Amino acid sequence: MNTNLKISNVTKIYPGCVANDDVSLEFNSGKIYALLGENGAGKSTLVKILSGVVIPDEGKIYLNKNILKLNSPSDAKKNDIGMVFQHFNLFETLSVFENLIIDSGEQRENLKEKIDTIMKKYNFSVDLDVPVLNLSAGQKQKVEIIRCLIRSPKVLIMDEPTSVLTEQETSELFLSLKKFSEEGILIIYITHKLKEVMQLCDEVAVMRRGKLVSVSQINNENIESLANKMVGQDLKTIKKKKENTSSEQLIKITNLNFTSEDPFETNLIDINFSLNRGECLGIAGISGNGQSELFQVLSGEIISNKNSIEFNKNFIGDLNPQERREYLMAFSPEDRLEQAAIPQMAIFENVALNNFKSSNFFNNGLINESKIKEHSKKIISEFNVNTDNIDLKSQFLSGGNLQKLIIGRELITSPDLLICFNPTWGLDVGAINYIHETLIKINEQNKSIILISTDTDELLKLSDKISVIHRGKLSKIMNAEDVTSEKLGILMGGGN
Amino acid sequence: MIKIVKRDQPSKAIFFFTPVLAIFLTLLAGGIIFYILGFKPFEALKFFFIVPIADKYGFSELLLKATPLCLIAIGLSFCFKSNNWNIGAEGQLTFGAIVSGGVALLFYDQKGFYILPIVILAGAIGGMIYASIPAILKTYFNTNEILVSLMLVYVSKLILDYLVVGPWSNPEGFNFPETRQFSDSARLPLLFEGLRIHAGIFLALAAVVISWFVFYKTYLGFQMKVSGFSLKTAKYAGYKGKKMIILVFLISGACAGLAGVGEITGPIGQLHREVSPDYGFTAIIVAFLGRLHPVGIIFASLVVAITYLGAETAQIFMQIPKYTGQVFQGMILFFLLASDYLLFFKFKFIGSKK
Repeated sequence: MNTNLKISNVTKIYPGCVANDDVSLEFNSGKIYALLGENGAGKSTLVKILSGVVIPDEGKIYLNKNILKLNSPSDAKKNDIGMVFQHFNLFETLSVFENLIIDSGEQRENLKEKIDTIMKKYNFSVDLDVPVLNLSAGQKQKVEIIRCLIRSPKVLIMDEPTSVLTEQETSELFLSLKKFSEEGILIIYITHKLKEVMQLCDEVAVMRRGKLVSVSQINNENIESLANKMVGQDLKTIKKKKENTSSEQLIKITNLNFTSEDPFETNLIDINFSLNRGECLGIAGISGNGQSELFQVLSGEIISNKNSIEFNKNFIGDLNPQERREYLMAFSPEDRLEQAAIPQMAIFENVALNNFKSSNFFNNGLINESKIKEHSKKIISEFNVNTDNIDLKSQFLSGGNLQKLIIGRELITSPDLLICFNPTWGLDVGAINYIHETLIKINEQNKSIILISTDTDELLKLSDKISVIHRGKLSKIMNAEDVTSEKLGILMGGGN
Repeated sequence: MIKIVKRDQPSKAIFFFTPVLAIFLTLLAGGIIFYILGFKPFEALKFFFIVPIADKYGFSELLLKATPLCLIAIGLSFCFKSNNWNIGAEGQLTFGAIVSGGVALLFYDQKGFYILPIVILAGAIGGMIYASIPAILKTYFNTNEILVSLMLVYVSKLILDYLVVGPWSNPEGFNFPETRQFSDSARLPLLFEGLRIHAGIFLALAAVVISWFVFYKTYLGFQMKVSGFSLKTAKYAGYKGKKMIILVFLISGACAGLAGVGEITGPIGQLHREVSPDYGFTAIIVAFLGRLHPVGIIFASLVVAITYLGAETAQIFMQIPKYTGQVFQGMILFFLLASDYLLFFKFKFIGSKK
């Protein structure tokens, strides 16, 4: 039987962010659909709407021409929509079978039979009696899939299913998904991995900043065209005026590796690069390819081998962020509200987070409030933060003003190197311009920048050198003049 | 129609209003319960909350009970403010009492000004040792500090039980489960003739002042505050998050240990099976009722201390079990948590569409 799922004019607004802006899509069974977009593009919100976790502000969902009322996850189950989330919802200490029976509503024996049939049919082999914590990520995912299949779903939604899988497990998953599709299950596959889309899917919908950007047949697309759609490339090539940069080396990274215990993080493999004074190195890539880990390794949140980072002729790989600041490094993390600043604390308290010995914010272990306040006032006036009340809690600053405060806090001490990660993410045009001008200005003062960004426009505008990070590996470093957006697109998708 | 909407930011006024609201609702619910039990509600509440502190002796008893509650709650506020859920203060109190009691017993037949400070110090160290167990397990082995600290409470009580029945029991004590009386030099001095309130109250007041100073005036306090709001930010700023966790546990263990010292060297004067009527657990309520603020905690400890006294009075004059006191403590916490809902949500009366 044919299944038709229709999303009609769905809008979901969170405070300060439009997660889904008038999205309409139609899916038919027999095909595998890709929903493609960067982190924060609105894919997950859309999927949560389909699975009843989030209720849209406007818009309707139709299944086979009938309006669906999805007020809770159980409504989605009742309407035969199955969902495998990126983070598994399994009880680690219970056995596989216990996990499956919990909300199945089936008798023990019936269920066992059902599971056996499913496992035979799709060639799954999972031991039902072992506790889930002993399973590999791939097997856990199979348990989640079996849980959906028990209910014989019409629609199966997979949210970033391969982020924790090995190559082998990925190709097994793809075989199963193709089989499900042949049997008439409508499959919606959410990802930001372009290769997988090309390999697996028949149609692809791209989302960006909450909006649906395009829907197309996979035959009409290639990795570069999808990458461009995803990051919103409009092929402008404004570049900054090329100054004579010095040839004095500032930072050198040698054979830097990072292996994470967390399967949701990306390992960094053999990172090597160097940067001269006055230069800006842009690191491009589709988010989730190791940018966050790279930032943490460079900032010292993740400590690495002492000799792997040489900064200004000192080896500093084993120092923490505070110690690295003493060597005149500064950091602006991606997450303004969760990491770079504490919204519940006053502006001047947030300023104290970037603390040098010479700044005397804390004398003999005591807070020197007047010193911090004086310093804060200076930042506010020099960096155009639109407030004059430094006792204000920073949650009341707009995103742009908060970012100006953070960048100002990092730059007022005139560091030799600023490492920033998506510094203009989510800001309005005015604030973006201000941040860009500031970054160009510090380059002109012979200070260096490492700019990790998912915004290709920004990278082409600001960088002297560009490299692309893909699956934790850096591409070779190119001069920005030689780089075209097409080339970046290929590299971001994992091509050569 | 009434609609519940999320507040854009927690209301400051509501933040200080909800503890008062919680106390009011507790009194209301308590009155209803008394009414159902067949008592006159106002009279019963008067017996519970006013009669016990109506005279000098009663007021001294109030301070006597409030002292350990305040001290422990101050310590716990360090943990709770930095999102470390130490709920084993009762165990840390007991272990502090064991260690300081052990030291006091060494000097049972001696006199000297130096004995009391050693005993007090021993109690603080005992509490710290005991609090370091969940802290180290949490930081290095990823265990859940709620479970570990809670389970250790029962371990410490069993150790105490063993000691007072076995090796430490009073050789001249006719096999009662208690130790010798401590030497007078190991006892906290009484403040007034005929009243039980003792110098331990100064320990509590000192803790209040010191904790306020540390938390609001020092770099250490700043780091704790940041780590409590966001470990990610702490890491980014370069603070040592793990050390911070262990430190707050040590502080709260020391405070609980001191509360234990105060009990055994104050009113009790020896070790026996029950060194604390669950002060360590009740102090959790005190800490939250006082909004984790030093001054708030002073008031909260006084309010909650009344429930201990009231329960005793009610038992004597109304023949109802003293466990009623725990019912009131439970209700305070319940209503506090329930009214905290108002911090983040507000009621909106709507006629038409917004």
